[in-house]
Amino acid sequence: MALDFLKRFSSGSAPYFSLAALLLPLTYLLSAATQDSSRFNDLFLVIFGLGIATLLLLMAILGRSLIRLYRDFKSNQAGSRLTVRLVSLFVLLVLVSTTVVYSFSMHFLHRGINSWFDVKVEQALNDSLELSRTAFGIRMRTLLRQTRMMAGLLNELPIQDVNHNLHELSKLSGAIELSLWTMDGQLITSSMENTVIFIPSRPNETIFHQLETQDAYISLDPEQDNLQLRAAVLLPPKQGIIQQRFLQVIFPVNDRLSELGKTVQDAYTDYKELSYLRKPLISVFTLTLSLIVLLTLLASIWFAIWISRRIVEPLQALAAGTQSVASGNYDTQLDVSSHDEIGFLVRSFNQMTQRLTHARNATEQSHRLLEQQTNYLTTVLGSLSSGVITIDNKLFLRTANIASSKILHLNLQQRLESTIDRLAAQAPYLLSFTQLIEQKVALGESWQQQVELQKKKAPQTLMCRGTPLPNDTGWVIIFDDVTTLLQAQRNAAWGEVARRLAHEIKNPLTPIQLSAERLQHKYLPMLPADESSTLTKLTNTIVQQVEAMKNMVNDFSDYARNPGLQLQLQPIGKLINEVLALYQSNTSHQFILLKSPEEIILNIDSVRFRQILHNLLKNAIEASEDAHLEVDIIISYHTMMQDNVQWFEISISDHGPGIPANMENKLFEPYASNKTKGTGLGLAIVQKIVEEHGGHVWAENIAPVGASIIIRLPMEGAIQ
Amino acid sequence: MPASVIAKFYGLLTLLFLLSSMSAVRATTFDIPAAHITKIGNGHVLNAIINYPLTPRVIEALDNGIPIVFFQEFKLLDITPLLGEYWQWEETLWRTKIRYELRYHALAQQYVLQDIATGKERYFPSLEGALHGLGKIQNFSLPPEYLINTKHLTFVLRSGIDLYALPTPMRPGAIISSKWHLTSPWTPVQWH
Repeated sequence: MALDFLKRFSSGSAPYFSLAALLLPLTYLLSAATQDSSRFNDLFLVIFGLGIATLLLLMAILGRSLIRLYRDFKSNQAGSRLTVRLVSLFVLLVLVSTTVVYSFSMHFLHRGINSWFDVKVEQALNDSLELSRTAFGIRMRTLLRQTRMMAGLLNELPIQDVNHNLHELSKLSGAIELSLWTMDGQLITSSMENTVIFIPSRPNETIFHQLETQDAYISLDPEQDNLQLRAAVLLPPKQGIIQQRFLQVIFPVNDRLSELGKTVQDAYTDYKELSYLRKPLISVFTLTLSLIVLLTLLASIWFAIWISRRIVEPLQALAAGTQSVASGNYDTQLDVSSHDEIGFLVRSFNQMTQRLTHARNATEQSHRLLEQQTNYLTTVLGSLSSGVITIDNKLFLRTANIASSKILHLNLQQRLESTIDRLAAQAPYLLSFTQLIEQKVALGESWQQQVELQKKKAPQTLMCRGTPLPNDTGWVIIFDDVTTLLQAQRNAAWGEVARRLAHEIKNPLTPIQLSAERLQHKYLPMLPADESSTLTKLTNTIVQQVEAMKNMVNDFSDYARNPGLQLQLQPIGKLINEVLALYQSNTSHQFILLKSPEEIILNIDSVRFRQILHNLLKNAIEASEDAHLEVDIIISYHTMMQDNVQWFEISISDHGPGIPANMENKLFEPYASNKTKGTGLGLAIVQKIVEEHGGHVWAENIAPVGASIIIRLPMEGAIQ
Repeated sequence: MPASVIAKFYGLLTLLFLLSSMSAVRATTFDIPAAHITKIGNGHVLNAIINYPLTPRVIEALDNGIPIVFFQEFKLLDITPLLGEYWQWEETLWRTKIRYELRYHALAQQYVLQDIATGKERYFPSLEGALHGLGKIQNFSLPPEYLINTKHLTFVLRSGIDLYALPTPMRPGAIISSKWHLTSPWTPVQWH
């Protein structure tokens, strides 16, 4: 508890108030003591005590300040080193000046006090004392002789005459007092010059003691500053008187002699006292001076620390402000507490931070503007169906919009800052695309070119355009997936061809067929038997070929027809089973159906889907038969998720010779067949119907032999 | 009081004084070997012997003309025991202090002992005599109004040097030095 109090007391401003409370009375007392030296005697201990208390308190305050300074220095606080340097400088200055003043003061003090004393004066005083003693000694011996004579005279007298003769003797000798005593201390008789006083002065014990061994006593008594001579002489033993008696006579010393003696005594005593007090006096003065010097020194050091802190404080604030600015807080403003150079510095700092704040605000505004523009551009690019990418001159991918990732089927946003070579390494089907870019970028001019992406499932055709960015900072490449467009163009072209063929060829076929039949019918009976067989053969050939041409024209007509889809929800398993049932009558053909565990209902045009199945099954059977292989067809279907879209996938696989390498890319194009039979439109029709349904179809060779046609239709809107 | 009793008392006091002066070298403070209150008529008087074994430092100061002030302090206490001798209630009924100044007169070669209150002086050719004279308290009258019933009364005395009467330069040194702290303990006086 006491420790807590001490901590609280020492941490606040209480020490300074206490110091002031001590210093004020101390100053007052010192002032009072200086003005009146007699008061110094009374106040000395109070002043000394107050001085010590002030000194201790000042030491405590100084110790606290020094500890604080040391801690700041150790913890490397801003401004602590400068404070220490300033304090050291101040302390050095104060120490040097105070030491010089203190040394000189001590020197003058010692010299001053020692100069009061002089060997000659001391000797003179000793001699004067000795002279006085000698002078009084002569007088004392004379008076002692006189006293002896008086004692002898009194001893001769009868007892009854003693008192009378005592008066006579007193008058004759000029004594102040004559008294006759026994050695027991009993007064026998006395005679006083002063008749007012009746009782004589009692001899002191020393007289009794001396008269026990000697017959006489004499002394100089400083009675109330007036010197007197006291003599005592034993009376010789006398017959009839038992008790030993002695005569005490007190003689006056004449005024002049007494005055001189007093002067000598006072001077000697004062000098001796002063001489004796020399050392304590020097000690006290030294102590007082040391105390004052120490107080001044400590106060100066404390003041040095205080003033150093005051000087360094604004610098510390500046340092803290600078650190704050360095850490990004540009709003820092410091208080301008002075109008000197430091104040100017603080004002400049404040102006600097204000300007920095304005600059930062302007930068932030520009940044926000830029961000808005970037967002705007990103939004525009993101909403574009065209893929847009930018690359730098070292072919590093810098930006890519969402459409580019979709078109290239590769998340380009995750691959920014990587080279396009690396993209090609990660997605090999992009090789032609990246090679094209590399070639064209090397030329350094705007370019436009179509490129094919070699994808297994669905080859893609991209229309690419490259334009150099301003300041030669790179390239922007815009590309569109024109696969569908090209396909549509092809389909349209083929449709037009088919429509014209159907129109131009189908019309004359019927008259040709009818004419051939009429020829046969009319001229067959007229011809001889050997020639009629020829006619029959020729007309049959015409009819068969016309029939074949009709079928071909019907196929073209089917391909060209675009009646519009009649979408309905259909259970797909049932649909497949119905189509399959038509082919299962041939026992040499083997069909395996791998069903989906759940019933799938698709929103499709059932007639056209049946056509797909017919075409594919027919294709598979013919492929196996053409190669003289067993017809072994596997049909499997199921649903699946890809790119967050649910798909229906059906595959029809055979164990035929597979797809020749030269047919892989144009398998689904009209007249792309290498079969002896058929129009070459089967797979083209399949692809057309699948695309009308929003799906896609591709073919794969399967190991070890055989091929597989895979159709994938979106299930959006479908019910499972 | 018969004269023979007084003579015997002083004889005893002298003996005690002699004995105490033999041990004075060892003594570190003044001491009161004998103190006695006697009833004379309706009054009471104190007789006591105080030994003043001065240290060389004090004697040196005295020889150099520094006047030394001695005090003799007396207290009359009314002691009521509350818990035996362990817990007592003390009431000071009366107290007084007599101060003497002892100085050396170089011309007369005598020690002058002055009662500061009355100014009365006594002269001694030797320091021993002066201290003996100082230490001999004879027939010191006590206030009769407090001494009607002396059953619970205790009279104590002590003596010492008044350091605050020393010249200022000597005072700090004397206050902190054990060679100047010679005050005797409070000594109870026997009632006769």
